[in-house]
Amino acid sequence: MHEFWHLLVWSSVAWYSSVTLYVTIRGALDIREMVKRLDETQGEEDPPEGTPQ
Amino acid sequence: MPRFSWLVDGSIVGLYLLGTMMAGLWLRKRVRRVEDFLVAGREMNLYLGIASLAATEFGIITCMYTAQAGYTQGFIGAFPGIAQAVAMLVIGFTGFCVKPLRESGAMTLPELFEKRFGRPVRWLAGVVIVMGGLLNMGVFLKIGGDFLCLVCGMDLEYLVYVMTTLLVLVAVYTMLGGMLSVLVTDFLQFAVMSAGLLVVTVLILSRIGWERLVDTVATHHGSAGFTLPIQTGTGWTYVIMQVLGTTAATLTWQTVVSRVLSAKDATTGQRVLTRTSFFFVCRWLIPGLWGIAALAVLGWKPLDSLDSAQRDALPAAIQEKIAASPVGQPLAGLTAEEAGAVPAAVQTRLGDASLHAMPRFLGSFLPIGLMGLLVAAMLAADMSTDASYMLSWGSVIYNDILAPFRRGSWSHQRAIRWNRVIIGLISIYLLVFGLFYQIEGDVWSYLLLTGSIYLSSMSVLLVACCYWRKANSWGALAAIFLGAAVPVAHLTMEKIPDLAPLAARLGKDGAGIAAFAAAALGMIVGSLLKPSPPDTSPPATASSHA
Repeated sequence: MHEFWHLLVWSSVAWYSSVTLYVTIRGALDIREMVKRLDETQGEEDPPEGTPQ
Repeated sequence: MPRFSWLVDGSIVGLYLLGTMMAGLWLRKRVRRVEDFLVAGREMNLYLGIASLAATEFGIITCMYTAQAGYTQGFIGAFPGIAQAVAMLVIGFTGFCVKPLRESGAMTLPELFEKRFGRPVRWLAGVVIVMGGLLNMGVFLKIGGDFLCLVCGMDLEYLVYVMTTLLVLVAVYTMLGGMLSVLVTDFLQFAVMSAGLLVVTVLILSRIGWERLVDTVATHHGSAGFTLPIQTGTGWTYVIMQVLGTTAATLTWQTVVSRVLSAKDATTGQRVLTRTSFFFVCRWLIPGLWGIAALAVLGWKPLDSLDSAQRDALPAAIQEKIAASPVGQPLAGLTAEEAGAVPAAVQTRLGDASLHAMPRFLGSFLPIGLMGLLVAAMLAADMSTDASYMLSWGSVIYNDILAPFRRGSWSHQRAIRWNRVIIGLISIYLLVFGLFYQIEGDVWSYLLLTGSIYLSSMSVLLVACCYWRKANSWGALAAIFLGAAVPVAHLTMEKIPDLAPLAARLGKDGAGIAAFAAAALGMIVGSLLKPSPPDTSPPATASSHA
């Protein structure tokens, strides 16, 4: 059982390190795309005071 | 002695806080519709979703209770993380419940329930979700403040100032930018938090060494520190409750659900779950390792958590029994009379000994510079969690509880203003509750039990709503009442001296399982008893499977 935990601890550290790097890069691109799409959507549509939701 | 340097470490923390506030305020002007505020205009993509979910579901409180589990149980303390990872993988791959939920276009769970069970069920579900969620997050701020005071070497009397500062910073950007600000700050906080977690873990493994960690667990916990709990007698109730609780949390926990609902489509929502699943193993195992390291370096010395006056007031025989107690159970060796003679304040301090072990250890273990990175990482973890939780439960209050009282259609501006007021009120509640409520027993059990006030009934409602044709409003109402009654009764019994032994015998896990069983029974019996014509509306999944 010690080997199981040894493997799990080191695979967690390795997986988390690689995911952190990858998600940080891709997440930044996602934010840029999200802001661009919001600007496009909102450019097409300011809803004046009183616009019902 | 903590090694926090206000010049070096304080500068690192200050830089992080400045970056977070700038990121948090950056998108506030793009909040124009209530959908922008609550679900980021449903424009969240996969990797931003992964970063946001990971940052939200790891706060200081997470670090504290998972480290406490490692300290008091050994490696097997990470079992709930393994259970949750499996639940997320299965639900993400199959789309069980989350696919019809996202495709329904609802902004919250109760909104989906209204389509199947009617408006009263939506309102009541909103009340139960908010009650369970706020009780759950009520302890976040205090435990976060405890951690920061302990690692920085500050006296706990400064706790209220630390808590208030933390809360004001989070409330400002959450109130202004809603989910858009939460997503962007979550992303930044994910990067800072992950860097801190990884650096500290590698330092522990290299300086203390794997063999010493294993020997520590073997010495203090024996084989029970390594082996699956069903083999060592930690009990089936523990295993069943972890599986039920983590599965229900994946399906209905509002902060997880809001990520699924903010995704641009159902497939993205499912991928966020599958690709974040292994993070939940890390989330339990990495701080659990910190807890084991604290046990290796500091040992189990509960009397050290008392000041000299408190220690001297205890009879020598009681001191000996406390010193020889099993890890995490300082009063376990005392008779009922002896335990009754220990003042409440002393019992509280002894009870917190296992919770405070990890921050005390890190406070003296990390060098200057790394201490600043750790504090910035933990601030990042806590701020992302607090912001998401305030927004998530605020959205249920606005969207579901206030819905019957909103006359006519509200403008987007008015709706956003109300959401901001609700978040402000939740902030005040967090501060007051955090200062005055004292948890009985370990933190994770408290969180799981308060969560089960709604996890049990809402998961039963969601499954029935999606997949059981005969489910109706009677069954839904019975499930909500019965699912909430069991944990509320248990929490109340714990606080009544005459009933506390009975509550302890049932245990938090037993009460949690009873809540799920009661909710399921209520749904089945209530639905079958309803005499009106059979409900002919199809289950919510019909459209997605057609």
